[in-house]
Amino acid sequence: MPILQNSFEENVLTTKVDWLLNWARLSSIWPMTFGLACCAIEMMAVGAAHHDIDRFGAGAFRATPRQADLMIVAGTVNFKMGERVKRLYDQMPSPKYVIAMGACATGGGPYYKYGYTVMKGVDRTIPVDVYIAGCPPRPEALLEGLMKLQEKIRNSSVIRKPARTA
Amino acid sequence: MDFNAIHQRLTEINAPGLLSADTPRAADPEDKEDKGRSGEAYILIDPSAAPEFLLAVRDDAELAFDILVDLTATDPDVEDESLWLNLHLLSLGHGHRLAVKAMVPKSDPVVPSMVEVHRAAHFHERECAEMFGITFDGNPDPRNMLLPDDWEGHPLRKDYEFPKEYHGISCE
Amino acid sequence: MTEINTPTEPPEAKTVEIPETARTLPSGEREFMLDVSTSDLEVNMGPQHPATHGVMRILIRTDGEVVTGGQVHLGYLHRCAEKIGENVEWLQYLPYTDRYDYLSAMNNNLGYSLAVEAVMGVEIPRRATILRTLCAELNRIGSHLIAFGTYGLDVGAFTPFFYCFREREWMMALFEKICGARLTYSYIRIGGVFNDAPVGWLKEVERFCDVFEEKWQEYYDLLVVNHIFVKRTADIGVIPAEMAVDYGLTGPMLRGSGIDFDLRRDVPYMAYDEISKAGVFDIPLGRGEKGTLGDCWDRVYVRVQEMMESIKIVRWCLGVIEDGPVIGDIPKVIKVPPGEAYVGIENPRGELGHYVVSDGGKVARRCRVRGPSYSNVAVLEELLPGTFLADSIAIIGSTDVVIGETDR
Repeated sequence: MPILQNSFEENVLTTKVDWLLNWARLSSIWPMTFGLACCAIEMMAVGAAHHDIDRFGAGAFRATPRQADLMIVAGTVNFKMGERVKRLYDQMPSPKYVIAMGACATGGGPYYKYGYTVMKGVDRTIPVDVYIAGCPPRPEALLEGLMKLQEKIRNSSVIRKPARTA
Repeated sequence: MDFNAIHQRLTEINAPGLLSADTPRAADPEDKEDKGRSGEAYILIDPSAAPEFLLAVRDDAELAFDILVDLTATDPDVEDESLWLNLHLLSLGHGHRLAVKAMVPKSDPVVPSMVEVHRAAHFHERECAEMFGITFDGNPDPRNMLLPDDWEGHPLRKDYEFPKEYHGISCE
Repeated sequence: MTEINTPTEPPEAKTVEIPETARTLPSGEREFMLDVSTSDLEVNMGPQHPATHGVMRILIRTDGEVVTGGQVHLGYLHRCAEKIGENVEWLQYLPYTDRYDYLSAMNNNLGYSLAVEAVMGVEIPRRATILRTLCAELNRIGSHLIAFGTYGLDVGAFTPFFYCFREREWMMALFEKICGARLTYSYIRIGGVFNDAPVGWLKEVERFCDVFEEKWQEYYDLLVVNHIFVKRTADIGVIPAEMAVDYGLTGPMLRGSGIDFDLRRDVPYMAYDEISKAGVFDIPLGRGEKGTLGDCWDRVYVRVQEMMESIKIVRWCLGVIEDGPVIGDIPKVIKVPPGEAYVGIENPRGELGHYVVSDGGKVARRCRVRGPSYSNVAVLEELLPGTFLADSIAIIGSTDVVIGETDR
């Protein structure tokens, strides 16, 4: 079809598709219930009525990785758990995103120095999209992290692959 | 019952393995090295008689220590040649506590298991074994509790070296 | 085209022999089992699971719907708290104490501070003692709210979870005003408390108590006496009193089996001696009202009633608090004289014990933490066999396990 040939990159049709797909994806990021430690309580508080994550479309916490788009690693990851984190990340279908919530998931947290079994940041096993600082981060901080992830999705495109495969 | 009364009762019933008691004392003014000892008192027992001791204090009506609150160990120093086995007991009927200590030699850290007397000891013994290297003879399930199954070393000993990497992931 | 043989007659009816002992169902039919051979299935529950209250793994062996064995595997959140205690200074260890039982951080701080103060022999000012008691009891309410709300979530009731978080947000806002943090406070320090209450804080706590008493009645009517909840939790996970004592259970697990023991009254610490002598609060016990004594419903009932008793203690504290200093006379760099002490306090989950050994320096020799959930969870291996899979979730929820505390 001559209309589409040789004009694929600047085609208005593609950017509209981009916009539509990205809007659909960022408005319904379904997280996986992956609360490990204290940050999990703040994640539950985000899910509760006061700071409502459902207004961002992300309120349906799925228990199984097969149905989830987002893994919010909330809490400390140690070596025993890290192998399971990797396995769960592999089980999630693309496009998938990871938020490292809290100081422990970002870089080991307060257990950085003498924690012999603590993994210093979850990004040593899985690729992370957004890091949220705090110990534990306020629910508003988690929502800001979610919005940053939505920004990232909004700027992605179907021509270049939107999510990294492991 | 306060500590002295408990100690007296223990000697009355000839509690198996009872060696001595250690109470807090002020610093000795003669000895410059001695800083004294504060805190709480404890009973010292022989580790090989630990299950019989627990049975005796549980069944005695005046002592009635029916809950084993904690079973743990301490490594006092790198140069010290024995580990401390610490037991803490609580009586529901009378509301008194007892702290018990036993010296376990580092060269041969074997202690008979106390699971038969208190089922609560099972999980505590497993953790103690992996953290300090003490073998509890007769524990029904001596797997690693908190650490991964292939972890090397006993972390809570004072001469433990922190690992450099585990399964390819750096620990630095 | 191949020939298709359609049968012209119906197949022969097979007869099944119904044994004499077969029951007659209400519909009139006889109940019988076909001889089908099945094998046991080993299923992993966790570590990532919506109902295990954290990262606990239970290896369940099932025969169809009936659980025949359960093995508890812990250690997925082991954060080496005890090794850290041997390497950082006394006051620097305080934030780590918040993080093992993260639902009741004030109580953890309190336990550690009391243990160190027992070795140091430091005098705590009166206002600090009352503020400590007040914060510990408010935190007990917060912890039981989550235990109760998430237990509703486990058995399938979504609404109580949102209601509980509504009150919890207010409690966390109160704590944020007094110490700046919502979850991990590090407020109760060695020697007293960190900060004095700001102006108007005590009045707001009183208003919280008034509102909470009305809301408590809502929780009770909504979930605790709800017919479906009772059916799901009564007669399930029965812990007889001897088993509870043998496994070293403490807290609501023990009181749910009818044993009248509470550390606040029987081995009192801080102001609790005064409080129990004044008869301010009662100890709720399981009575086997809705089923057998020591079942899951009894434990939930004890926790919900304890929230009300905590409100009474908070009101008492508001009545007796006076002005004064909030921290005792301790140096900036704390050096604890040589010695050792074990202090056990009543955490919302049971007895939280800290065993502290000092050699006279700035760093502890040994800082042992006895988490109540560690002993409480051992009883699961005995309770799970013989139950249905859905009931096993209810039993695990009723132990109110917090994995930060089992793994430290």
